[in-house]
Amino acid sequence: MDKQDQNQSISGLSEKEAKEFHKIFVVSFVVFVAIAIIAHILAWQWRPWLPGPEGYAVIDSAASAVSSFIASIV
Amino acid sequence: MWRIWLLFDPRRVLVALFTFLFALAIIIHFVLLSTDRFNWLDGPATTSAVPAQMISVEHVRRDVV
Repeated sequence: MDKQDQNQSISGLSEKEAKEFHKIFVVSFVVFVAIAIIAHILAWQWRPWLPGPEGYAVIDSAASAVSSFIASIV
Repeated sequence: MWRIWLLFDPRRVLVALFTFLFALAIIIHFVLLSTDRFNWLDGPATTSAVPAQMISVEHVRRDVV
């Protein structure tokens, strides 16, 4: 009885189960964040979402200038 | 940190997390679709091109006068 009470957690999981679930959760979270970072990089390349004080036109012209500069180098 | 799963039931946490993430994703996608710059399906709305020109002409006239 006492031993059962010690093993009984609020969620009903044992320590072993909690550690096992935690491993899967952390790995899944890292994969999710990695995919989100890649998606944000691609979205920023498509259209940056922070306009400068002059608006988006300056950013777009600067981005096109950079891309044309890179294209001229390559 | 793993002790959090002794407090919170993983099943409920996962259901709540996925529900929240899905709702957040839906909201963000609709907000982006409602904008001109980030609408990836229709592009910028061009229906009010003529009225916009008229408005800008009026502004120019006021500036000149």
